[in-house]
Amino acid sequence: MNRSQAIASSSVLEQRQIKARNWQSWLLSAPSLFWLILFFAVPYLIVILYSVLTPDIYEVKFAFSLGSYREIFRGTYWIPFFLSFRLALLTTLICLLVGYPVAYLIARSSEKWKNILVVLIIIPFWTNFIIRIFSWRIFLSTNGVMNEVLLALGLISSPLEIIRTDWAVIIVMVYVYLPYMILPLYSVIEKLDFSLLDAAMDLGANERKAFFKVTLPLSREGIFAGSILVFIPALGTYIIPQLMGNQNSLYIGQIITYKIKNIPRNWPIASALSLVMLIIIAAVLLILYAFYRHRQIRKMDEAK
Amino acid sequence: MEDIRIEHLTKSFDGFIAVNDVNLTIHEGELFSFLGPSGCGKTTLLRMIAGFETPLTGKILLGNQDITQLPPYKRQVNTIFQNYSLFPHMTVYENVAFALKIKKLPQSEIDQRVKEMLQLVQMEDQANKYPGTLSGGQKQRVAIARALINKPRVLLLDEPLAALDLKLRQHMLIELMNIHDAVGITFIYVTHDQGEAISISDRLAVMNHGNIIQSGPADDIYERPDSIFSAYFIGETNLLPAEVVSLEDDYVGLKCDAGNGESFEIDSTYHFKPEIGQKLTVSLRPEKIAISRRKPREQEDINIVRGVIEDILYLGTHTQYIVKVGNLNFRVFSQHKRVYFDDAALDWEEPVWLFWHDTDSWLIDEVAPAELDAGDVNVFDVPIQMSRNLKRQSHQE
Repeated sequence: MNRSQAIASSSVLEQRQIKARNWQSWLLSAPSLFWLILFFAVPYLIVILYSVLTPDIYEVKFAFSLGSYREIFRGTYWIPFFLSFRLALLTTLICLLVGYPVAYLIARSSEKWKNILVVLIIIPFWTNFIIRIFSWRIFLSTNGVMNEVLLALGLISSPLEIIRTDWAVIIVMVYVYLPYMILPLYSVIEKLDFSLLDAAMDLGANERKAFFKVTLPLSREGIFAGSILVFIPALGTYIIPQLMGNQNSLYIGQIITYKIKNIPRNWPIASALSLVMLIIIAAVLLILYAFYRHRQIRKMDEAK
Repeated sequence: MEDIRIEHLTKSFDGFIAVNDVNLTIHEGELFSFLGPSGCGKTTLLRMIAGFETPLTGKILLGNQDITQLPPYKRQVNTIFQNYSLFPHMTVYENVAFALKIKKLPQSEIDQRVKEMLQLVQMEDQANKYPGTLSGGQKQRVAIARALINKPRVLLLDEPLAALDLKLRQHMLIELMNIHDAVGITFIYVTHDQGEAISISDRLAVMNHGNIIQSGPADDIYERPDSIFSAYFIGETNLLPAEVVSLEDDYVGLKCDAGNGESFEIDSTYHFKPEIGQKLTVSLRPEKIAISRRKPREQEDINIVRGVIEDILYLGTHTQYIVKVGNLNFRVFSQHKRVYFDDAALDWEEPVWLFWHDTDSWLIDEVAPAELDAGDVNVFDVPIQMSRNLKRQSHQE
């Protein structure tokens, strides 16, 4: 066997090994693959299927129709879409503005306080979600604790009508989603090297400039992660506007629920609305991801 | 001309006094070092000059300006931090340009000055790299450029070479000295490494427990330490417990306690007038002692002591002998210059003569502690261990 043959046969051997390895890796990932197919792919396929069927009073007629999509693109639901986006953006923004200082404070506390404060952030999760929202209802209602205290203190002359307004929805949204903003921010800020702030101040930056030029850019990953964790569930929220809001401003989550719950039912439009939502969220995430990747690649290129 | 004056500066953290009533003057263009073991207050002192810590009492003057209460960003002082603290999200260029961008200088001027500065530290071809991709020595250079670009009056260096390996450290030390010569401003250098401090500084201050023990040029502190701590922390030394038995115009007669009731007498010149009967300590540098198996000729100003070689450690440039005189261990460095002494190698357990000049035994007006704190200086521990192993090997051969 001459040299080139030897090389050729060894490369064949290598390829066989690679194939065997590929096969093994498929086998090893089979359980999670199975799980994903069963609980992720199949449900979505059903949603996609239902979105192109014809509505009936209780169920669906198995007849192909793009009517639901036509209805959506005609703009029938643009107000709930707009309201949902506005709510999700506002919630994310307020969570960021409130959460950042809190996360910063926790991250800069002593080791002992850090743990206590993080537990305090997590404690609300131990109580049922619905119960927490109902307590807000009692607290904010016209004859509720808040109004009584404010009236007793003489700060207001007549009860504030907060309950059943968009304000009530926003307040509870921020309350519910704030931990999802604080925790990723905290984990990023906590790892930040605070001697960098000394360096910035040493080089002539005052506290404000040091924050905007060093702390903020270095906590960008936490801001991204926190914003995504708040924005996405906030966009599809159903129970909070249902319990805190009014029927004049319906959000997309509520519309989808009504279409399934109320008779005559309309499964196809509910499915189509869910899919449109999904596509919008996916598009937003992809754009963010592409932006982020672009930066990373640019960094690596310049490093070469 | 004086550049920095520190007056009665004190700082405490939760009742622990980190810096204790420090008074100091640093001259313009000088390379001044704070030298001391960790926790001696040298970094706290530096951080107060930079403006990161506010002193409890006292004043810091830069030129004629009292800067004690100024925030760091209003001081004409820049710092090279221990781990460089380069901004990881900025390129080398952006790191160096940071101070000028804050000042909102025109872009053309920023470009010009950053380029010059990167040239000074030989990093002009790395301008677009991020700090995460640089080696330790390169990060060090960027840190220097970033700190110097704002043309500070004083540059503070906080253990700048601690993170580098030995060869690079020696190289950067020389480079720092060259940069100091090139820019001509005052450098204040903090280190726990006495070798670094001695070689780089015009003057230095030895610190311990928040106090300045002694300050002055390196050779001054080495040759004329005014305390046991200075003598012991800088270089290596033999500390002999002694009692004054006679006092003449130009020398004192001393009785050194060698333990077990044994003693020997030596003479020494003096720089302060001791009293007869006073107990004090003699500091005798190992390289000032000559060692020989033949008895040297008796001379008026030479001290001669008889001992036995306890240990030998070959160190390339010189050999270190541990010679037992009574219960005292003398450390003696002997360079391998055969023209001076008899050339047959000395051996373990061999009786030898140690001799040195009167002017080389230096009096310190303190009583040596019975056992020197091993935490302060650990010169004894390792070499003796090593040489014991060598000894065992040589016996087997």
